[in-house]
Amino acid sequence: MRLAYVLIVALWSVFVEAKESVTVLTAYPEEVVSHFETAFEQTHPEIDVQILWRMPNDALPYLSQPEQGGVDVYWSASLRTFQALKEQGAWRKLDVTDQGLPTHLGALPLADRDGFYRTTEMAGYGFALNPAYLKKHQLPVPTDWKALADQRYQGHLALPVPSKVGFAPMMIDSVLQQYGWDQGWALLAEIVANAKPVEAGSTFVSDMLGSGERGIAPTIDFFTASAIANGAPLQFSYAQPVAYSPAHIAITQASKHSDAAKQFVAFVLSEAGQKLLFHADIRKLPVRPDVYGAKPADYFDPFAASLAHPVVYDPETALPRLGLNNALFDAMFTEHWSRVQALFERLRQWETRGGDVGKAHMVRALLTTAPISAEQVHDQNLQVLFAKRGGDASMEAKGRQWSEAMHQRYDEAEQLLNAAAQP
Amino acid sequence: MRTLAVALLFLGAIEAVAADASGFEIADASREAFSRLYNDVTPAMREQGLRGRGLFRASWVIPPAADSAIVGLGPLYNQLSCLSCHPKNGRGQAPDTPEQAMRSMLVRLSVPGKGSRGGPLPVPAYGDQLNEQGIPGVPGEGRVAVSYSEIEVNLAGGESVKLREPHYRFVDLHYGPLPTDVLFSPRVGPPVFGMGLLEAVDEQTLIDLAAKAKPFGIKGRLNRVWDAEKRATVVGRFGLKANVATLKQQIAGAFIGDMGITSPLHPQENCTAAQAACRQVASLQQPELNSERLESVLTYLRLLQVPARRHRDDPVVQTGEKIFAEIGCAVCHVPTLTTGDFPQMPVLSAQTIHPYSDLLLHDMGEGLADGRPDYAAGGRDWRTPPLWGIGLVEAINEHSQFLHDGRARNLTEAVLWHDGEATTSRQAFIDLPPAKREALLAFLRAL
Repeated sequence: MRLAYVLIVALWSVFVEAKESVTVLTAYPEEVVSHFETAFEQTHPEIDVQILWRMPNDALPYLSQPEQGGVDVYWSASLRTFQALKEQGAWRKLDVTDQGLPTHLGALPLADRDGFYRTTEMAGYGFALNPAYLKKHQLPVPTDWKALADQRYQGHLALPVPSKVGFAPMMIDSVLQQYGWDQGWALLAEIVANAKPVEAGSTFVSDMLGSGERGIAPTIDFFTASAIANGAPLQFSYAQPVAYSPAHIAITQASKHSDAAKQFVAFVLSEAGQKLLFHADIRKLPVRPDVYGAKPADYFDPFAASLAHPVVYDPETALPRLGLNNALFDAMFTEHWSRVQALFERLRQWETRGGDVGKAHMVRALLTTAPISAEQVHDQNLQVLFAKRGGDASMEAKGRQWSEAMHQRYDEAEQLLNAAAQP
Repeated sequence: MRTLAVALLFLGAIEAVAADASGFEIADASREAFSRLYNDVTPAMREQGLRGRGLFRASWVIPPAADSAIVGLGPLYNQLSCLSCHPKNGRGQAPDTPEQAMRSMLVRLSVPGKGSRGGPLPVPAYGDQLNEQGIPGVPGEGRVAVSYSEIEVNLAGGESVKLREPHYRFVDLHYGPLPTDVLFSPRVGPPVFGMGLLEAVDEQTLIDLAAKAKPFGIKGRLNRVWDAEKRATVVGRFGLKANVATLKQQIAGAFIGDMGITSPLHPQENCTAAQAACRQVASLQQPELNSERLESVLTYLRLLQVPARRHRDDPVVQTGEKIFAEIGCAVCHVPTLTTGDFPQMPVLSAQTIHPYSDLLLHDMGEGLADGRPDYAAGGRDWRTPPLWGIGLVEAINEHSQFLHDGRARNLTEAVLWHDGEATTSRQAFIDLPPAKREALLAFLRAL
């Protein structure tokens, strides 16, 4: 047999013209990418796909290198990176057939208005649930953010901290956009009072749900949907109206394999490519409405859902303030988590006992009002300050100032509660 | 690292299922059955295992990059994640056509002769493994195109089975032709669960298994390999030819060989003298997988549980189990072993396990031979692969390819490729009445 192997090599080891290739930079994990690689290869055996992986926050410097690092296609859920590179003139105009590809889902743009990138799939925000846990604690399934503010959920939630967990900034911002600045922060404060914080690198949300440590976790859908499709005893409830995080695809200006790149982009957006998103290990939401006819049972259809609850969240308008939101969330809650919870518990007990409504309003206002107003959040200088990655001294100083302001408010709230407790 | 951690948020979601199980065997037939972590350990060990899980599932990146924990891919490599070759911790698969790339498969290379420690001699221009991919600016080494011819086997009862015999062709070779006497061995990524338990089986158990008299002309022997940490020759038990001494060395070998990630055990990049562009690539850090992170991956793999047998009360499965023993399968695919004292991770000690393997080398005949010796393993020798979990491969990995190179498209074909020491058992399988053959397969599907 060894002789046979040697002969095969001797006869068949040849130099041949290399296949056309396309280099795709992505932040998608292996489970996602491998399905697209395999299916694309079957459709285009003449093109070899090379995948490079890069975290969203690390893709910008990589694609800003000379020759854009040899990358032909960028495919990722990082709108900020697509926008920044568009400003640098880093993309070619996409030359794809639009047939069957909508430009919007309600307020959510599904294509760059200048034609440089397109949405390839979406992920929706909502609540991962442990049904057994809810049953045990006799808790109803929440269907919107307002429900989570109810004190009956106290001690039952796990909430990702937006400055630490990649998908959370848009999720938190969607609450602010949907309910308005003041009511949105007030809702978040009440939810924080009910929740354990989840930070990347510590105990994972799923571990909390699976172990029964907590029963509900606001999150992005595909983690849970994929876990459920793989057999996890979990559920997912979308927060209506659903906010979506879009992923995009673009071809680099420096691409040396633009024809192959076009083929790859066209495949991802094609019916065949979009249907791959239904796979149990992916579970993202296609942007082609027509493929939902072939969706697995119980698969969420954002186009159908939007008929009853039109999409109102626009991530593009949210981007400039996400860093600012994160800093405010930390100053209000992350840095005072246990204190916020203790104060809310006292306030809620006082209200239950029939405490003075006016004073209760005062305490609640102290606990739920953001350090800056809805008008101030539009301050471009402030937005730019917090858009910097890694931070700097002035950003840290501003964060400390807000945190100290919240500290004083919490002191004041505590004094009011102490006074109320006096006979 | 934030994105990596975020991506992992829900990976432990179905560990609630695992809570019902006892020991390292878990009653779970879901698509996550190969990915359960044993939980009854200290919080620190669990944290270490979870960090290892993150590294095992990570897609590694090329420098420059912000996240130094996963930087160091290449310059030459096969895939960018451990999961590529071990999808869902299970089995990879072979391409079906010459045009398809090897996405969860690789090809080992060597030239005749032995290295100073007894292992294979690498091919001068290519090393000991064909790395199909290179980072930008570094050409990949080439590709391997697989095609198949068919061999028909007739079974008792009139059934006919077509086996596919693979043929390999090296194409797009970028560093010159391969030597005419090159030896090569295609390998599909095997499952990675239960490896800690196999490591905890003490050496004397394997020595005794090798020495034990066996029926049907079956022998079974130990591989003796170089242990780079002990600086000594020891019994090999990992790798498809039992050609690696320890799980840690298996992991470090896969990191450098498959992904070009250096570690304390492999501090040099995998560039040969002929690969100038590869040698000129600057590394951000060395080693790229430091000792602490290597230990994390080791802990993760050691803590992975094993799916328990299913359908034990099914009479057909019970019949199949009897036939499995009667026709000699269980001589090599030993159903039960007991782990020894394992101070490196005491929870793995004294466990009764059901790997359906003796971890020994067996001559499997010409049909499966790769002709590439590896330490004491000859070109026809393969280590008995564990069968635990084999019945879940189709559901979890969405294919039913088996054997070292994925040539078998189902369990029947896998059995029929057995030869050499398994000749008698193979013939007995062919001669079984169809109902009994189906019972044997039902038993395998219940593992």
